[in-house]
Amino acid sequence: MADEAMPGAEPSELSATIEAPDQTLTPTIEAGAEEFQSLDPRVVRLWRLHQLIFAAVFGGVLLIPLFMLGVRSGRWLWPLVGWLVIMGLLGIRVCWHPRRAYRAWGYRLDEKVLEIRQGIWFRSLTLLPLSRLQHVDLDAGPIERGLGLASLVFHTAGTQNAIIVLPGLEASRARQLRDHLVAVGGDDAV
Amino acid sequence: MPSEPPTSGGLDANPSQAAGAAGAPFRGRLHPLTLVFAALDSLKSFLVPIIAVGIFGRGDGAMHPLFWVFLALPVYSAVVRYLTFRYRLDQGELITKHGIIARHERHIPLARVQDIRIEQGVLHRLFGVVEAQVETGAGKGPEASLSVLSRAEAERLRQAVFESLPAGAGATPAATRGGEPMAAAEIIRTIGLRELVLEGLTSNRMASVLVLFAVGLGFVDDLVPRERYEQWLREGGEMVARLSARYGESLWIPLGLLAVAGVLVSVGISVVGSIVLFHRFTLARRGEDLQRRYGLLRQRSSNLPRRRIQLLKVEEGLLRRWLRLATIRVDTASGASDEEERKSGRDVLLPIVRRDELPALLPQLLPGLEGDAAPWRQVSRRAIRRGFLKGSIALVFLAGGLFAVEALLRAPRWFDIWPLFLLPAVYWLNVISYRHLGYASGRFYFQTRRGWLGRAWHILPLRNAQTVEIRETPFDRRHGVVTLHLDTAGQSHTGGAPGIANLPRAEALALARSLARTAGATRYCWR
Repeated sequence: MADEAMPGAEPSELSATIEAPDQTLTPTIEAGAEEFQSLDPRVVRLWRLHQLIFAAVFGGVLLIPLFMLGVRSGRWLWPLVGWLVIMGLLGIRVCWHPRRAYRAWGYRLDEKVLEIRQGIWFRSLTLLPLSRLQHVDLDAGPIERGLGLASLVFHTAGTQNAIIVLPGLEASRARQLRDHLVAVGGDDAV
Repeated sequence: MPSEPPTSGGLDANPSQAAGAAGAPFRGRLHPLTLVFAALDSLKSFLVPIIAVGIFGRGDGAMHPLFWVFLALPVYSAVVRYLTFRYRLDQGELITKHGIIARHERHIPLARVQDIRIEQGVLHRLFGVVEAQVETGAGKGPEASLSVLSRAEAERLRQAVFESLPAGAGATPAATRGGEPMAAAEIIRTIGLRELVLEGLTSNRMASVLVLFAVGLGFVDDLVPRERYEQWLREGGEMVARLSARYGESLWIPLGLLAVAGVLVSVGISVVGSIVLFHRFTLARRGEDLQRRYGLLRQRSSNLPRRRIQLLKVEEGLLRRWLRLATIRVDTASGASDEEERKSGRDVLLPIVRRDELPALLPQLLPGLEGDAAPWRQVSRRAIRRGFLKGSIALVFLAGGLFAVEALLRAPRWFDIWPLFLLPAVYWLNVISYRHLGYASGRFYFQTRRGWLGRAWHILPLRNAQTVEIRETPFDRRHGVVTLHLDTAGQSHTGGAPGIANLPRAEALALARSLARTAGATRYCWR
């Protein structure tokens, strides 16, 4: 590959810091898969917060039909039990899912390919050849920013997998990673 | 890339070439006949108001002032277009300018130009002019339409644009490049009238429906108990008899004639359509470029550099497979997929070809394919069992549903669960599809084969592969298998490479990593 300098390419000392792994080894889905790096642990809090907000909104909206049902029929017990069951399930999800999802997510970078794995039941492993990167976005919502996190969004020229998201990275690390990937992979972008 | 003018990198490296083949800066304007053709073109859009004025113009018809206004506008716009339209090649860009009051200026980086298509309608041909459409990877439709130019001028433009491109843009694996930019065109394949008739006959949807119907009828005849079958026939007959009692004696004859006529007309339309579209079809190769030229009334020609093939599909529909014929489709990175593409024949690279020609023909489209032989591999045999299980569940539900309906309406009989009789067929079907499902992973190309009645064969140049993905459902996990997907750009004509399900996990993982690494070691190239 030609090594013409890309705009915005940082000095390559960054690649050294990129490869320096913080070695949080997690159990991998693939038999014989080598060390995947996990996301920043704070992402569990982020996801939990997202799901809490969702559960609160959803529970609130659900209260409307419950109320109407209660008024119509005059019986309050069963609708209330139903609502509690649903909220209980959501509560379990809030407790359990983020931690499990955190363990499922992982990424691995070498000089040619970025691998991202995810999924609890429906698992996937996406392999992105770095020379196929068209551009990289760095996204951080308000809660993410508050936690010091950011997501990377990778764009390829592909069709189904044209957009690949890697969430829950520590913000400065996300920036480093982006700069590194743009420098390494961007050299044949059009 | 962020805010970086995309042309600067590659093209400025070769400024001498960018100056154009003629040595002087390339500039030009439209052919004087633009006055006529542009006026005719925009007249079409004023046709409705003109007719409306003619009819409702309170009797004074052609003398109504609006009539003249509507007539004058197209002429005016044609005159403006002809007088103001200029184009030039400058600094690695194709720049077009037109307009008096609102000036439009468009800069198209030459590196982005995918193709300059040349089309020539019947009227154009009388006067020796063409429409040139500059195609880029961006979205739908041409980026610029130069209409009309003389044929020679269009060729000159095409040459100037493509020769200004850096020759070594993409490192071809088994490359034949560099030394022969002006090589003579070598004809790969022409399609004669007889084959076009075949194309029309086999592309006809009506015909394939009829064949399936005939096959299905024979099937029903064998499977359904005689009494039930006869009852159906009787009921159908009674209905027709009732109709004929109402509408006259011999309803059969016109009905039959109607059906035959319908089939003949639709087959005829399909054949004529195929001949009109693809008349004198020629696929040629000139250096790296594949050139196509075809058309009876409207002649079309287009260029496709071989390296820009994202994915190639050899498609054998049911009818074509029986006749040992196939169609070749390719994807380019410009993903325009619409009716227009199909109507203009751009969705196929080669509309029809004999299957036994493929081994000699494909390496001309995909260089290095002949030396890239890799053994065909099959997926896990569990595919049969899993497919059969899925099919069985569907059939059991169907049979149960039918039985329940019959039980509700009248007394059910044992053969109301007839879907279950199809179980052996489903098993056989899964065995057949398993046998024809395979992949071959070479150094430069990844190939897949699939299908039971119709077949599809996909060939994916790895340097145009985008991402590799492995997916695993909970059911997959129990069988230790996964599905492997390769993503490509475009996909509008081939539908993308199929995912390969039921691959043993370790094998898939090793394969995915080697594919991603091979793809990553090459540069992806739009041009």
